[in-house]
Amino acid sequence: MDTLSLLGLQHYLSVGTIMFAIGMIGFMCRRNLIVMFLCTELMFQGVAINLIAFGRYHGNLSGQAFVIFVLVIAAAEASLALGLVVLLFRQKATLDADAWRELRG
Amino acid sequence: MQALQSLVLGALPTYPIAQSVPLSPLVILVLCVVAGVGTVLLLPSRREASLNKIGGAILLAAGLIFAALLVRLTAGQAKGGMGPYFWIFSAIAIISAIRVVTHPKPVYSALYFILTVFASAGLFLLLWAEFMAAALVLIYAGAILVTYVFVIMLASEAAQPGAASRGFLEHDQVSKDPAIAAAVGFALMGVMLFVIFDKAQEPQVAASIRPASPTPQLAAEQIAPARTGHDGDGGNVFYGEGSVNFQHSAAQPIVAGSTQELGVFLFQKHLINVELAGLILTVSMIGAIVIARRRVIGDTNTSGMDVMVAPATPIDDNPHSIPVMGTRDPRQKEYPET
Repeated sequence: MDTLSLLGLQHYLSVGTIMFAIGMIGFMCRRNLIVMFLCTELMFQGVAINLIAFGRYHGNLSGQAFVIFVLVIAAAEASLALGLVVLLFRQKATLDADAWRELRG
Repeated sequence: MQALQSLVLGALPTYPIAQSVPLSPLVILVLCVVAGVGTVLLLPSRREASLNKIGGAILLAAGLIFAALLVRLTAGQAKGGMGPYFWIFSAIAIISAIRVVTHPKPVYSALYFILTVFASAGLFLLLWAEFMAAALVLIYAGAILVTYVFVIMLASEAAQPGAASRGFLEHDQVSKDPAIAAAVGFALMGVMLFVIFDKAQEPQVAASIRPASPTPQLAAEQIAPARTGHDGDGGNVFYGEGSVNFQHSAAQPIVAGSTQELGVFLFQKHLINVELAGLILTVSMIGAIVIARRRVIGDTNTSGMDVMVAPATPIDDNPHSIPVMGTRDPRQKEYPET
């Protein structure tokens, strides 16, 4: 398998880094519970781009295999997170993360 | 696809050691500060729409300057650098990601995220990961994000009427500490970008890590001996004696980077991980069902059994609060009373 140059790798890594940073900013900023979890999925996307780029750079398939497992964990986490969000919404009838402020330690 | 691949093929195995002038950390810092200011203006808050547009313009300017610097880095290359598809897909991905974060309505965030997933799939295609691109579209855009849209629709509240809210909910319209969040996020991004662009030359260590770009024939020969094992056995070591005849494996080599090669790699080297992934999915499915369940009502058509209405999850962490299906007779319980 032909490999990626270092400069090409830098291009893809910067795209992945920017997406990860944007996801992190959204996770810290937004107050809607569902949008917060959507931003964690955005962080997963950035990490996936990084992994595939590294896999192509090193010329083996470990990057793609790792991304498959990242996708599995993302799916499992999304299902559990949405179940919890539905439960929390039933309790307080709002999706505001600040409604649960009394849980803060 | 051939033209695309020839456009995107990486550098030749031999290339100069000192490739290019790296991006200096000061430039990265200034760009991050400018982009941070633009992002803070774009994040949802109770201000006029014109300020949002100014923030968007600042962010776009910072992004374009960064892209121009990257293009200038590749200008000194022998091969001409990244093709146009890379810029298109990454521009769509990053702009959609910013809209996911900054849009006040959650449904639009989910839809912009679907666009981000499609752009990421395009980037995967450029990196020759076709199966991962298809899996991303199927699993992420097709299953996870559709579930998100369903839950957004189910868990929706009505907005307060009034001119001040502009039809949005209060917690969607105001973000929590946007300045600090943007500062932290862009600080992390600046440090990571600095580390990425700090490698001014290809170190000699990497030359030993990376393989010397084998041809597809070579990749097939590397895989075929692992499966044939014994001479003249017809490649039956991996698949059991006489079960599958693989005499034709030498005539049809596995194309490098294809789905077939990924499958072989997964099930030869990562078999336990694949099984564990299936186990994790099963556990999460059971967990999601248990979490979101309401009260359980006993069967009404079973003769001789009491109909009881009881909670499905333990009250006050007491497992005996969940009744056993059957009788109310405590001596019939299936676990001992402690």
